[in-house]
Amino acid sequence: MPPENDAPDYAIDVQNVGVRYNLRLTKKNTLRQTLGTIIRKGEGERTFWALREVTFRLVHGESLAVIGPNGAGKSTLLQTLAGIITPSEGVVDVRGHVSSLLQLGAGFNQELNGRDNIMLAGAFMGVPHSEMVRRSESIVDFADIGQFIDAPIKTYSSGMRARLGFAIATSVDPDILLLDEVLATGDAVFREKSRARVLELARAAKAIVLVTHDMQWVTEFCNRAMLIEKGHVVAEGEPEEIVRLHKERSLAETMRKQAELIAKLGDSPGFSPWAIQTQAAIKAAREAGTSIDDVAAIQAMITARHGAAEPASPAAPSAAAPRPATPQSATPERATPEPAAPAPAAPAPAAPHRSEDGPAR
Amino acid sequence: MDITQEAPAAFRTSATRPGPLGMLAEAVGDLRSRWRLVRYLAQADLKRKGTNTFFGNVWWILDPLLQMAVYVILVTVIFQRDTPAYPLFIFAAILPWKWFSTVISDAITSVSGQERLIKQIQFPKIVLPAAAMIAGIAQFLFGLIPLFAMLILFYADRISPALVFIPVVAVVQFTFTMALGLILASLNVFFRDVGNLARHVLRLWFYLSPALYGAETIATLDATQPAAATAMRLNPFFTILESYRDAIYYERAPDFVLLGLVFAFSLALLIVGTIFFKRLEPSFAKVL
Repeated sequence: MPPENDAPDYAIDVQNVGVRYNLRLTKKNTLRQTLGTIIRKGEGERTFWALREVTFRLVHGESLAVIGPNGAGKSTLLQTLAGIITPSEGVVDVRGHVSSLLQLGAGFNQELNGRDNIMLAGAFMGVPHSEMVRRSESIVDFADIGQFIDAPIKTYSSGMRARLGFAIATSVDPDILLLDEVLATGDAVFREKSRARVLELARAAKAIVLVTHDMQWVTEFCNRAMLIEKGHVVAEGEPEEIVRLHKERSLAETMRKQAELIAKLGDSPGFSPWAIQTQAAIKAAREAGTSIDDVAAIQAMITARHGAAEPASPAAPSAAAPRPATPQSATPERATPEPAAPAPAAPAPAAPHRSEDGPAR
Repeated sequence: MDITQEAPAAFRTSATRPGPLGMLAEAVGDLRSRWRLVRYLAQADLKRKGTNTFFGNVWWILDPLLQMAVYVILVTVIFQRDTPAYPLFIFAAILPWKWFSTVISDAITSVSGQERLIKQIQFPKIVLPAAAMIAGIAQFLFGLIPLFAMLILFYADRISPALVFIPVVAVVQFTFTMALGLILASLNVFFRDVGNLARHVLRLWFYLSPALYGAETIATLDATQPAAATAMRLNPFFTILESYRDAIYYERAPDFVLLGLVFAFSLALLIVGTIFFKRLEPSFAKVL
């Protein structure tokens, strides 16, 4: 008697939910460390809110995309909706059978063969035995790993494991589907097949929550979007709008970080070529439509393009570097992220046309 | 087809948790509804233990036998002690002890070793230590094979109706083991030291329990160190091992008063342990 018809027609109701992590207890503590922190108590942050004051309601037919920078709490939200994490405050009310394709093949047992693992995964998900027996043939068909289905999982390649995991996870027909970037799996053929399957599931499901960094999915696939930053809901609404906001904000954030970086490096002798290259690379990435989330990624990009990064030793007087007569050194005020002025006479490649959607806000 | 028959279709979670009794009921319900999962996990565990070695599951028979051989050599040759039918005397204790120590070590890592799983699937975590317990039973049953072989081949004169008390003692032991296993499994999620410490504590516990020696050895302590002797008798494994030995070696019924007391204590500990586990359960996914 699922309370489907006698109540408002919502699938997920999240009321003022917060998830708190106790930093004293997380991550493989030994007794000594814990005793240490307890003795030096009061020092430092002891708790961390991965999510705070999150409230939303999803009615049938809605597919919600949750976007935001890394570490914003997106996955925590999904784990909470799946019932894996109990909220520290607030209430999560989920009406309907949930299936989470969080990560594939989580419940696999290395020693058991493929078929036994199908049954084991079913038991973990709480699917009754008879139902699982009924499904197992179609799972085997979909995974399409031939005779390996009767071999222990430990003999599988990672691709085969992912295929079986995907086949099992999507064999359910859930009312509510939770997706966390599981779409990039296996080879091209299988990827196409799995994309089709996810779309099919999504059509059948009453509600969907999708966490992704792929903005195309958000706009194509979802009819609602939510932007989370640092555990708080920043905005919610039309996917296009939210995606645009997210892009703007993350660009502004990138610029801010970059300005800080430049300000920090401003004094170092090796500064100019590095800064110029950074700007050029950011610009190039922006124009290419790549989402750039943090400076580390940019640095990696530059390092890949131009060899070793200089600021690794900021104090090193590597003044031998080309260093074009620095009109640059005037820029390092970080408050306004406006170093966008295309580095004058940038020696860096790939900055053909300029874009005009500046880092506002 | 209603796929919601085993797992709840809808759920509501919040920071408010049920009271102790509610948790206890929840744990019982979890185990009942996920019994098949417990079985699968136990089977997989047994398979894993069997397939890694050449002799496979034969080791469940060989292991206690070899351990017995070691102690027989140690005690009769080196310490020159002379107990009649000494191999049977210690085998009656080594077998259950091995069951206990294996299950406890398995249970300790049962939850903390499943990090990936716990973070990605919602399921009652109590099935993990429970599976370790069930797998342990199978190993214990295998261990009974050499015990009965020994009885039939070498000690036929010691076969008696008292052997029927073995399962009774086993139930008491299982209750105690389950209680301790639940507590240690959940503690080990937070403090990995538990696993390291347990190895040494188990070893010391073994030597302090009447396995290699009997209750009469402890009785000799009464005169010189009465406190130590009393402490040793308070050890649940004093009663448990002596009861096994009563049934197998002395051909007599165990002391049911003592055994009943240990059972009552174990049951109380099991209730406390289950509530303890359920209380910590919501944090597992966050801490791992």
